[in-house]
Amino acid sequence: MVWILLFPLIGAAGLALGRNHLSPRLIGTLGSGAVGAAFLVALSALASYNRAGEPLVQTVFTWAKGSGFEVSFGLLGDPISLWWLVVVTGVGFLIHVYASEYMAEDPGVGRFFAKLNYFVFAMSLLVLADNFVGLLIGWANVGLASFMLIGFWNYKPEAAAAAKKAFLLNVIGEVGIILGLALMFMEFRSLTFAEVFAKVGEADPGVLTGIGLLLLVGATAKSAQLPLFTWLPDAMQGPTPVSALMHAATMVTAGVYLMARAFPIYQASEAALTAVAWVGALTALTGAVVATRQVDIKRVLAYSTMSQLGYMMLGAGVGAYTASLFHFFTHAFFKALLFLGAGMIAHYLHGEQDIRRMGGLAKKQPFVYWTFLIGVLAIAGAPPFAGFFSKDEILGAVLEEGHVVLWVIGVVVAGLTAYYMTRLFALVFAGEPAQEHGHGHESGVAMKLPVAVLALLSAVSGLIAIPGVTAVPAHFLEPAFLRYGHHVPHAGIGWPVAVVLIAAAAGAYLAAKAYGPGGAARQALVATAGTPPRGALANAFYIDDLYQKGVGGLVTGISIVVGRGVDPYVIDGAVNGIAMVAKDIAEGLRRLHGGYVRRYALTLFAGVAVFMIYYILI
Amino acid sequence: MNGDMVQGYVALSGILFVIGACGLMVRRSPLVMLMCVEIMLNAANLAFVAFARYLGNMEGHVFTFLVVTVAAAEVAIGLAVIVLLFRKRDAADVDDVNTLRG
Repeated sequence: MVWILLFPLIGAAGLALGRNHLSPRLIGTLGSGAVGAAFLVALSALASYNRAGEPLVQTVFTWAKGSGFEVSFGLLGDPISLWWLVVVTGVGFLIHVYASEYMAEDPGVGRFFAKLNYFVFAMSLLVLADNFVGLLIGWANVGLASFMLIGFWNYKPEAAAAAKKAFLLNVIGEVGIILGLALMFMEFRSLTFAEVFAKVGEADPGVLTGIGLLLLVGATAKSAQLPLFTWLPDAMQGPTPVSALMHAATMVTAGVYLMARAFPIYQASEAALTAVAWVGALTALTGAVVATRQVDIKRVLAYSTMSQLGYMMLGAGVGAYTASLFHFFTHAFFKALLFLGAGMIAHYLHGEQDIRRMGGLAKKQPFVYWTFLIGVLAIAGAPPFAGFFSKDEILGAVLEEGHVVLWVIGVVVAGLTAYYMTRLFALVFAGEPAQEHGHGHESGVAMKLPVAVLALLSAVSGLIAIPGVTAVPAHFLEPAFLRYGHHVPHAGIGWPVAVVLIAAAAGAYLAAKAYGPGGAARQALVATAGTPPRGALANAFYIDDLYQKGVGGLVTGISIVVGRGVDPYVIDGAVNGIAMVAKDIAEGLRRLHGGYVRRYALTLFAGVAVFMIYYILI
Repeated sequence: MNGDMVQGYVALSGILFVIGACGLMVRRSPLVMLMCVEIMLNAANLAFVAFARYLGNMEGHVFTFLVVTVAAAEVAIGLAVIVLLFRKRDAADVDDVNTLRG
């Protein structure tokens, strides 16, 4: 199993070293090959697990061994980690292949693939570790990979700023996680999954809630939940394959992984679990609402990702882990599909990403049209595509657990999702082009093939989870949850499913009328092309500006006070002051060395006199 | 030697020492300063011998030997330095020799 980690790691190292010596095509092949090899190993691990029936355990190295105790670092291949692994390496492989053509002309292509391979390594480490420390190491490293890849075009100041913002917000999350792990260690004296989860029953409930909330902070930052989401739209500065792989399909799901992995803690603490559910629901709502007013393809998809991650957190927050993980599975496919499609559009239009300048691409790019349509239908929850099954499983479970308000929010979000995706689709593909773009740059096989595969997966992967008929994900994942005594709720097909469908259909219909060819909203929107969008929704309720000015201003203020006040006057003053004192003492003593012999004699006798006075009188 | 006589000798020793000290501080010729140092040393010798006689001890006499030896050596060196000084700069004033300053 450790080869899953080693293949991409070796790939990253090799490409980093050889990036100036290899041709772009070879770089792309090697990078994809490394991840492809990891994928094959993941599949074989999956097969081993299915044969064995027990989670796979592999000890990588032993850190310390004493008499009676042993601290070692190991890998755990249980259903949850294998589930993630297959998606990470599989979708990762497809995106690497796509990127081998998309990034072929970029001078930094070797650097790109090295960093992308490194990301796959770090993400695999995160999900494979058998203890929280390994998870945290993977977590921090994917944060680093994100920083490197968002700021890949480091000569662009917006990209550098976005990378910095992503990293800073993630550090806030990591602080939360570290504090949570500290609490965990204080309570359980161990950070291994097996040891911690075995003792959850005897632990102090207050501590468990604290741990749960602190880990939630970490998940909030990494999975772009409210209120730590502001880095995700800006993360779109990175190349589109990066957006597809990291900020849609895999890295941002690390928070969901953490919530699922630590489920015994959340099941033991009602408060923490409720917090997870509400964070998820509110994020889903906010993301969907803001997405309706975005004008850049990738930003629409970014807020959409935020919203769908909210769904996953909501699922985890009601204990419906299998539904949440299945939504992660399907979302990886259709979100990656949508992002890669957006990449193809941008490729075709020589870098244009503003949807107000698009339109009419249905005729010019039929391949992208059909595959993007599949993605839109999947995310909007249209049967029989994948999103329908996964979204309805989550919402069904939410309702079954009795959370009516959360369910209503979920249904509203489903409607909004259909609305903004239809709006996007209409503005990009339907009708007549808003501007003429001249001859476009057609995409090649390396880009089309992964997109086709993802489209196929988005279309059919739902069929493995038809409630009551096939329940592949549930059967596969449940043992992991039953191990620590949690029964995952199931939802059948009933009237709630119809409500969701009606909401989605209504959303799509409204968007089609407003933004379809000849729609009033479409004309109004296209007319604003070239100006940045205005309004609270389009600017995400100005939360980002609040952070920039509020927190940023505070930090800048403190820096000014310290840098211009404390540092020169207090610190330099103290250090220079010591030097001054030494100098003054020296100057005083110097006067003893006049060079006049008779003064020496006088000094001598004065000392004798003092001495004598002391002895005679005292 | 009884107590009164020792007092006299010690008083003389003290007076001689003070004379030598004042002379050392006041006079400016190096040669005279050297002579004052001799006076001080001899004053100390006198005190040693007086006490040795008074107490019937040999230690005072022994120490006097040492002091005289040191004085002799010191005079030799001191005179050599003064002679060189006179040769170099015709110095009659010890205040002019002040270049070894810190």
